[in-house]
Amino acid sequence: MSDAPRDTQTPPPDSRSWLERRVNLTEIASLLTVFGLLPAELDTRKPLREALGEALSQPMSYYERWPRLLGLLAFVLFLLLGATGILLAFYYQPTADAAYPSVVAIARDVSFGSLVHQVHAWASILFLFLLAFRVIRFFSIGLYGRGREIIWMVGVLAFVVATFTDLTGRLLPWDARGYWTTIRAREVIDALPLIGPIVTFLVGGKGLDSLILTRFYVLHIGGFPFVLLILFYLHFASIRRVGVPLPLDAAQKPRVGRALRIAGIDMILLVLLMLGVLLTFAIIVPIPFDVQADPFATPPNAHAPWYLLAPHAVLEAVPGLLPRFVRGLLLDGLLAGFLFLPFLDRSPGTGARNRAFLAAGLALLVIWVLLTWQGWFLEVSR
Amino acid sequence: MTAWRTMGRSAFATAIVAALAWTHGAHAQDSTKTAPAPDAPAPAAPSPAATSATPVAEKVVLPPPSPLHERASHPLAAVPTDSKPTKTTRMCGVCHSDIRVKFDKGIHKSEEIGCISCHGGNPDAITIAEAHRGSGYRGRPRRADIPALCGSCHSDVARMRPYQLPSDQFALYRTSAHGLALARGTMNAAVCTDCHGVHEIRPADDPLSMVARHNVPTTCGRCHGGNGDPARPATPGSPLADYKAGIHGHALLVGNNNAAPECANCHGSHATAQPGARDVDKVCGQCHGKVRSFFMSSPHRGAVRRGGHSDCAVCHGNHKTTRIAATAFEKTCDSCHKPGTPEGAVAGRIQTMLADASAQIDRARERVSRAEKIPLYVEDYQARLEDARTALMEAAPATHTVDTTAVEPHTRRARSIAAEVSREVDEKLKGRWWRYVGLGLFWFYLILTAAILLRWRRRAIARSTSVR
Repeated sequence: MSDAPRDTQTPPPDSRSWLERRVNLTEIASLLTVFGLLPAELDTRKPLREALGEALSQPMSYYERWPRLLGLLAFVLFLLLGATGILLAFYYQPTADAAYPSVVAIARDVSFGSLVHQVHAWASILFLFLLAFRVIRFFSIGLYGRGREIIWMVGVLAFVVATFTDLTGRLLPWDARGYWTTIRAREVIDALPLIGPIVTFLVGGKGLDSLILTRFYVLHIGGFPFVLLILFYLHFASIRRVGVPLPLDAAQKPRVGRALRIAGIDMILLVLLMLGVLLTFAIIVPIPFDVQADPFATPPNAHAPWYLLAPHAVLEAVPGLLPRFVRGLLLDGLLAGFLFLPFLDRSPGTGARNRAFLAAGLALLVIWVLLTWQGWFLEVSR
Repeated sequence: MTAWRTMGRSAFATAIVAALAWTHGAHAQDSTKTAPAPDAPAPAAPSPAATSATPVAEKVVLPPPSPLHERASHPLAAVPTDSKPTKTTRMCGVCHSDIRVKFDKGIHKSEEIGCISCHGGNPDAITIAEAHRGSGYRGRPRRADIPALCGSCHSDVARMRPYQLPSDQFALYRTSAHGLALARGTMNAAVCTDCHGVHEIRPADDPLSMVARHNVPTTCGRCHGGNGDPARPATPGSPLADYKAGIHGHALLVGNNNAAPECANCHGSHATAQPGARDVDKVCGQCHGKVRSFFMSSPHRGAVRRGGHSDCAVCHGNHKTTRIAATAFEKTCDSCHKPGTPEGAVAGRIQTMLADASAQIDRARERVSRAEKIPLYVEDYQARLEDARTALMEAAPATHTVDTTAVEPHTRRARSIAAEVSREVDEKLKGRWWRYVGLGLFWFYLILTAAILLRWRRRAIARSTSVR
């Protein structure tokens, strides 16, 4: 093989470092693979240097690079959100009385607190969009076929759980916008049959008070991120088992490209670029502060979060066309159908999929965007 | 079906009541003697208005009923379903149950002033004829007699003393516009019951009372609502609508500010009258004392005393009281003093002072709220802005002197504080340039890293191709 000369020498057993003789560093580094940061498996029996060199020298198909990068970026964002979230949690106090002053103190008094806060907020926006884009992409090229059911379902679930994380996070500053966004979101979720009662039961009521804030806080920093981590793991584990998808055109052979070492540099460059864009947004377009939440004063333009605007429009607009309960069932069915799509569309292959499904999905996307638009104006005209 | 049942039940109830009354008749008659009925006042009560009034048939246009008190009538049953004798209304409440229901909500019930105190008659009789005979039976009192009738108790100093109630209302009433009109024979002039209710007489501190502060405008408006309604002929114009549109009405009825005046605060309650043109500043000065003291030092004061039209209401309106905005100052003075005149020039100068200070404060407030959203520390600026606003508020009473030297210190103070706040917040906002420097530094290092990585990449490509 075309290995570099220094990699061909098998190191003598005593050449391992002091640390490596006590801890299997390769095993620890293989976590990179486990969570999709490295699209190659490490041989955990070999020392780290050797195993890495081997993995990085493996050739990588051009096609392989692109699809994994969205997942990689999403996971990097997840780590960034975790890091900034931990910093914010050092100062944040999750009670209705103290929440807003503590967030103001973070943004005003703590060194770089405002920056951390803004990066956390912008990263969450980007994170959701990446996951949504990923699901849309999977659908549009039919990456949910035989063998990839888990990958698809986990992808959809990851987006849903990410929206929950986002929703619970919006309440935490206890400012007017976050508070009323959460109220609107609860109105939509409560209207969904089956899902609504379960959520109400889990959260412990329909009102928003200090106790609910604490529950949202725990879910935001502990519950949902843990679920997301498991989903990420499952996702990449399934990808490693099933393998990357074949190119769309079956006749086109996957071109063997450069070594993973070079593709890896490309990935690092992309991650850096993303971080740069994120920081630029956080500094130049900071999300402004709102006044403290007042449960007795609804601000004039209280919106549901963007991912719930379309369901809100379905539930509220054109009254009398269908009973609310039926509309809620329809939305439930839509979510279930989307989740179990691989079992509905049984056409063979992973490439070009059933055209009827593709057309339906495209129509659904257009309708969804229009409904989101309508949901926004529904709130404005209120 | 239901009607049948209720009628059956009510008939049954009546029968029982009648039987009870029959068996306990003697006892009941004993108890009448201890009731306050004997000192029912009809013949002895002073009623000068009644005697001097023309004996016209009572064909007067009465105001519409107060919306506060609903009517309880039972068209189906001759004897209402809820008919029963009570301690205070005795047997009267059996037939007049709708009245009893109203009466029970009033204050007289709890003081055990019963029907016969005002109407006379025999409260323990069980036939209509007998009930409407009895001691000093009066039936429905004539309107002209009502003030004296109420006064027979309420003018009694000894009787009112335990309640800490005044006892001069009847005397005051006789001097009031209402009392004088009644004495002249105007039968639809307001009497006690028109404002206090007929049977449902609640104390003034009861929120449902017709004379509770927030209900007074509606109560007066029943007659003085105006606007050409033939049922409300008492006043030209539309004082009720004007009052509601004015700043006082808005404060009381919308803002629930109980310090805001209702009708009686300016016109008096029992001694109600229209304030004379020379007294307007005194009436307004009850609350706006500081403003009045400034007004007294102005040249307008002399004009008022000479009978000219330059009292408070000329600029601020009477019922539709308005606050004059800083920008509307010159326009308001314009109605008497043309811009070319020296007086018009003073008005222009005062308006400029007020408008400048107000604009400066608005500018500073906009900057402070921008800084608050970032967020920066703004508590200090907000406190100083409050000072500026106070200074501007102090300028408003001083404008009543129409003397620029009295207004100027206040507006100057407001303007200078606001300008200082604006300047400091501006400096603070501009001082955030370092964020962009930081961002630039970050991008510099990012591009540097990228360049190094690209170099590595190129070398790696070169090495792999050379090896291959």
